[in-house]
Amino acid sequence: MSAQKWQATGELFREFQALGRASLLYDVQDSHSGNMAVRRTSERGEDEIVITATGSQKGDLEPSQICFLSATETDYGYYKASSETDIHARVLQLPGVRASMHAHVKDLILATLDDAPKPGKPPDFVPVDPLAWHHLGGGIPVDWFAVPSGSPELARTIPERLAGHPLTIIFGHGAMAKGRSLREAFFRLCVGNNAGAVVRAMEKLRVDVGAVRRAVAADPGRAFAFPPPAYDIEGDDRSDFREEEEILKEFVKAGHRIFESRLSPFHTGSMSVRGVDTVLYAPKASMPRDVGGPLLSVPLAVGPADDAETALHKAIYAASDFQTVMHCHIPEAEASAHYVYPGESAPADRIIPVDAEGSFLYLVIPILPPDVSAGELVRSLHDYKVAVVRGGGVWAVGAQSLSEVLHHPSSLREICLYRIGAVERGLDLRRMEPQKAKRW
Amino acid sequence: MAEFPISGYHGRVLVADLGRGEARTEPLDPNAALDYLGGRGLATRVLYDMIDPACDPLGPDNAFVIAASPLVGSNAPTAGRGHMAFKSPLTGVLGTSNSGGTWGAAFKAAGFDVLVVKGASATPVMIDISPGRAEILPADHVWGKTTHETNDVLSAVSEPGNPARVLCIGPAGENLVRFAAVANDRDRVYGRCGPGAVWGSKKLKAVRVRGKEKIGIADREKYQSGLDQALYLMKQAPVTKRLLRDLGTAGLVELINLIAMLPHKNFQDCLHRDEDVERISGETLAKTLLEKAGSCYLCPIGCQRHTRVAGRDGREERGEGPEYETMVLMGPLCGIYDIAAITRANYRANELGLDTMSYGGTVACAMELAESGLIGRAEAGGLDLSFGSGEALESLAAMTARREGLGARLAEGSYRLAAHYGRPEFSMTVKRLEIPAYDPRASYTQALGYMTSPTGACHLRGGYAVSLAFFGGAKEIPRFSLLQSPIAIRNMQNVGILQDSLGVCRFTGYAFSSDPWARMVSGVTGRDFSVARLEEVENRVAALERLFNVEAGATAEDDALPARFAEVPIVVEGKERRVSRQDQERMKQDYYRVRGWDAAGRPTPELLRSLRVEESKR
Repeated sequence: MSAQKWQATGELFREFQALGRASLLYDVQDSHSGNMAVRRTSERGEDEIVITATGSQKGDLEPSQICFLSATETDYGYYKASSETDIHARVLQLPGVRASMHAHVKDLILATLDDAPKPGKPPDFVPVDPLAWHHLGGGIPVDWFAVPSGSPELARTIPERLAGHPLTIIFGHGAMAKGRSLREAFFRLCVGNNAGAVVRAMEKLRVDVGAVRRAVAADPGRAFAFPPPAYDIEGDDRSDFREEEEILKEFVKAGHRIFESRLSPFHTGSMSVRGVDTVLYAPKASMPRDVGGPLLSVPLAVGPADDAETALHKAIYAASDFQTVMHCHIPEAEASAHYVYPGESAPADRIIPVDAEGSFLYLVIPILPPDVSAGELVRSLHDYKVAVVRGGGVWAVGAQSLSEVLHHPSSLREICLYRIGAVERGLDLRRMEPQKAKRW
Repeated sequence: MAEFPISGYHGRVLVADLGRGEARTEPLDPNAALDYLGGRGLATRVLYDMIDPACDPLGPDNAFVIAASPLVGSNAPTAGRGHMAFKSPLTGVLGTSNSGGTWGAAFKAAGFDVLVVKGASATPVMIDISPGRAEILPADHVWGKTTHETNDVLSAVSEPGNPARVLCIGPAGENLVRFAAVANDRDRVYGRCGPGAVWGSKKLKAVRVRGKEKIGIADREKYQSGLDQALYLMKQAPVTKRLLRDLGTAGLVELINLIAMLPHKNFQDCLHRDEDVERISGETLAKTLLEKAGSCYLCPIGCQRHTRVAGRDGREERGEGPEYETMVLMGPLCGIYDIAAITRANYRANELGLDTMSYGGTVACAMELAESGLIGRAEAGGLDLSFGSGEALESLAAMTARREGLGARLAEGSYRLAAHYGRPEFSMTVKRLEIPAYDPRASYTQALGYMTSPTGACHLRGGYAVSLAFFGGAKEIPRFSLLQSPIAIRNMQNVGILQDSLGVCRFTGYAFSSDPWARMVSGVTGRDFSVARLEEVENRVAALERLFNVEAGATAEDDALPARFAEVPIVVEGKERRVSRQDQERMKQDYYRVRGWDAAGRPTPELLRSLRVEESKR
């Protein structure tokens, strides 16, 4: 085979560069780790693979670090392309797959580490959060490899796993995801990492993860009452309200913040601003810089085509005077929703801040059951402005602005981090929770 | 159906019929109390049930109503404010006005929730209220006196531990100046919409109260939880813990100039020299004229400015203020940056019982008429009416209050003044109420607030949107969003309705929103007032106020800014900004729909039913 060109320009390069930066920001790569590839038809009408160069810094990709390879050759080990090109090439041969990505999803790797003797097949990872359950399935394969990078063993096993799963885990190393687009592959990696973060936070909180997993497996419909919408690979460039420059800017800023502050994995969550007849709606709220997502203007009235997420935004508006709504999947909040105080038998129904800023801002943050009705959710939001739905993410509302509503999940994440850290250090949350919180 | 006793309420309405010369106690409707809470909401409900909104505002058929809230009498922060509702002689629509000071709390302590004054006396009278009783007394001995003099004479009956609190008008009210105010504690003022003229038309000079009755608190723990949180948050928020105490509301002068909203020369532009703005800033006031800060009843903020200034005769004078609105509307709006002249004119306005906001707007209008050659120097009694004339500002106050010379025309407010000279477009008013000191071209949300305020251009009834520009923190909203403005301003207006109906200060909103209030009012009353239920009260009051105005003859055409704001741009952050008629219409119609009103701005029957806004009991 031969390289067909060395310099990537234009849209494709920007996509690689933006997602590379995003993966660094989301901390699912080290400075040089990971790789990403797409399969496409070249300008000459030939099937080709575009892949990052080996050893390239994914956070600062240069045009010369994007390699264009023939998709018809069997040896993909071209010296400049990724050392895992063979794996990508085989994954990209799978039906419907146009992209693949490998990342060092540390939270997921940490959550799947075990000290059992190797070689051996580690157990599948069972997520306990709604995003991973719906988007990655109830069991994510984990494989141990003697040579866990670039080996023929990997090139054989990973495509087999991805034939039946959106994402697969390489024990102690990272994960590989397939997608119809590079964004979808990155989305799956982020959702997978988030699933690991949820489990790790639960372990720090000494939650019986096994019991939660059994409950989820027994009745996932009950555990996750608000199914997240399916990932749509189309329409990310759509913007229905370009003329509303100030609001547009607010959406973009909030989207960046949600992603960069890990308030929700890439292209998950949602946010909206209510107009009189319309809702300005971002169905992929977590939007890194230079990637973006759809910015829609949809009717305020619920329509038959609305997914559950959109319908809930509209239901909140229908029953309140709020002007902004945000939904995020904060792993620390999801884990905290399963926290059981020592001596108690059931998860707590509220999160009480133990840090100064959190105590200043909030009395308590309610935790609602997975099957909470829209009406009950709205009532809680009236009183608390932010609420955690166990197995359903964090919902927040604002009277005026996106900035206002963003503050709630952002503060909540910090509140949860402090509580988790306190438990991790063996401190007694009950003693730390301010007395006033029990009255307020 | 609710029944008294309900904790937090006495369940008593004091009705003073000045035409018959009698005062009597009537039971308060408990359902009205719970549906409208108190203050603005309850006062408007009682007024709407009592008068024909189409009545002559200066005739005996008009009434005025003052209502306290269930929180007044508790120790909730700032909960001592009173709210007055009447038909405005300036605007012809609903007039409501709010004041701090101590009178509201004293009235509640006298054992009443609501004061209704109707009819008209042939001779000057005052109402003297003490626990459980009231008398109508002659007031000839204070008729003609200033608000300060009247206060000092009538409060002389105070006893240790039982002070007499006086609400009164000055010469402006007696002379039916359409923007005459009602004062309490000498310089705390119910200023807007001309309540003083309504009092004057009834020959009512003053209402004096004494009392020590207390209210109960049904659920002490719930109340205390809200109180603790409120006080905690007020100690934390920069505006409530420091800024207002250090600089007073005039601390806004520099800030509003920074965002290009500080009006100049009757809203001709927003262009000022920095050194001029500095001469009238809150910082300069604090360094030069301020003697001490002061507080209204139960207020931990302390924004009052007790000041002193050299009089025109060289002798030192003492008084209160100027507040931000006064400083700007009697200052740069008239082309004046002389802080001493503004302060002296403010003192005169307070003593004479003039609303300083409408007075400043009316003088600015007169100055533009004069510079256009429509008012000559002779007609102005020899005064130089050019923009920048501090002497005119000071002298015209007394002429206006006494309706002397050109003052008789100014006493009608800027709309009637400008119309008299054939240039109504020189009146910077909405529904004939002079616009506050924030140029609406620099914020669509504030523009819409002025347009849809139930009382005409008022930043407090119309939604204090501009506050979000500086102190909104995370709540800051886009300034030029047609889409977001209708809901944003509805929500701001609703916050104001709640605060006015609870008898608490607008400034608490810089520290917290509805949640602590919900728990405090639930704790006091022992009834479940969730945030959602309070929201319902807010929407109910808004619908009722609009209903009043519709019956008073207001139409959608009245919800509009003066032509200048649509035609003449100002520059904000390098861009020319105006609020075109088309944009006004779009925002207005969107706002109506958000409120549940029809295209003509009338609350729909469905809305009134859903909010339980009953037809008038007249």
